[in-house]
Amino acid sequence: MDSGGLIMHVNDGADAPYWNGLAEGRLLLPRCGGCGRWMWPAMNRCGACGSEDVEWIQREMRATIFSWTRTWHRFGYTESLDLPFVSIVATVADCGIRLLGRLDDPDQVDPVIGEGIAGRIGATRVGTRDIPTIIWSRG
Amino acid sequence: MHPLYGTTAVAGIGMRQYRRGASPLPEQGALVEAILTACADAGFDPADVDGFVSYGDDKNEPVRLMPALGTRELKWSSVVWGGGGGGIAGAFGLAAAAIVSGQASAVIVFRALVEGSSGRLSAAVMAHHLNDHMLAAGIVAPAQVCAIRANRMYEHHGVPRSVAEELVRASYYHGSRNPEAIAYGTDIDLDEMRDSRWIAEPFRLFDCSRENDGAAAFLMVSAERARDLKKAPAYLLGCANGAERGWGDLLENDDEALYPTAGFRPIARRLYADTGLTPSDIDVIQLYENFSAQGVASLIDHGFCTYENVAEVVRFENLIAPTGKLPVNTGGGNFAQGFIHGIGTAYEAVKQLRGESANPVPDAKLCLLAGGPGAPTVSSAIFGNEIP
Repeated sequence: MDSGGLIMHVNDGADAPYWNGLAEGRLLLPRCGGCGRWMWPAMNRCGACGSEDVEWIQREMRATIFSWTRTWHRFGYTESLDLPFVSIVATVADCGIRLLGRLDDPDQVDPVIGEGIAGRIGATRVGTRDIPTIIWSRG
Repeated sequence: MHPLYGTTAVAGIGMRQYRRGASPLPEQGALVEAILTACADAGFDPADVDGFVSYGDDKNEPVRLMPALGTRELKWSSVVWGGGGGGIAGAFGLAAAAIVSGQASAVIVFRALVEGSSGRLSAAVMAHHLNDHMLAAGIVAPAQVCAIRANRMYEHHGVPRSVAEELVRASYYHGSRNPEAIAYGTDIDLDEMRDSRWIAEPFRLFDCSRENDGAAAFLMVSAERARDLKKAPAYLLGCANGAERGWGDLLENDDEALYPTAGFRPIARRLYADTGLTPSDIDVIQLYENFSAQGVASLIDHGFCTYENVAEVVRFENLIAPTGKLPVNTGGGNFAQGFIHGIGTAYEAVKQLRGESANPVPDAKLCLLAGGPGAPTVSSAIFGNEIP
């Protein structure tokens, strides 16, 4: 199944530096150059102070689990993922931005909100594309 | 008094509903039938309808309906933004805005959904929302987004998971007694419900709404005009639509306190302020439940309970008509009445206020219609069979 046409693609939005960063092996996240606020989703203007100066700052791939779900149903576009799989919202350390990602789930132990996790850069195949993503593990 | 307070009313209703994939008519045909039924219900000439409002990706542009309806002149044609069912109550507010401002005089609010014509609803909803961040995480369906938020509500905010079952049971109880419901005549099997397959934890199959084929239509006119038509008016007393800062970003970075909510805090605030009503004034609730946990979150947002006392309020016995103090989804709701993108909840709101519900709430005067919870933009409305 090709998801083309329906959705926004990598590298044509305000978050292009994020995707380019992952491709280069780095986690880059946007911070307002005017007021220092972390901004996510990425934007071209800070709604809080009005600055259009966006800085992309490297962060370590360390986070805590904000919330999670374990998917058992075969939804379209998830064909490349073995069922069940765990998706999480991860709060990135030293900035507070939350990222969607996948969590290794070898023993099907339920994630705990607040649990510390570490990430590595991988990819998810969707249709004919490999979308870079952070795959998180506990400990 | 707010300009929407008691100035317009639903004068006629019509619905056609079938199992998913089983509509005998294409989508536009089912919709035209529903509109004609709504007009006949009110004793109103369908050719005199001059406005149309829908929400959530309906494919039926009103101008295309004119030949079949015999419409003389189209004066208002609009839709509430947003891909989910968040706009359902807002659609009535939009129709009322047209009437109160004199831009149209007889407006049909509608939603039609026939899978053979327009595909699966869940896919249409997600087409609004999907981005590469979600795809890469394997998050592709409304059930998964709502599941992540539900886990946060259960684990972090201490809402007991058992309340979801209470809500689902109440919907099925009502639906099994409603001849117009898909679940009519079938009592829910608790073991089957509890052992049903996982979709996305914490949701099993029975925590998820259905999808059905069909259409429903509501004729709205001024309150004064409604009083001269065939059926007793269901007055619109208030309506609020929108989102507040810190909600609706699609990448799960909502304000932390708002994250596990259904997005209705600002909507409820405005709705109660505009109408001068409070949760204790509401006699019956038609609650859009896409998923069980979001239905519970919506009840909390609207002030019917709190994180602390939710288990005392959201109990099966308390939610069912005629004896419960907080009757919810008396037609069966999206779980059991049927799911044409939630429009059945508005249908039951009017039936209940007319005394035509299969599960009547004794002396019901005010009904809250809560739109699709968890959507980036949400809406709610209060209807009454009198103007308090």
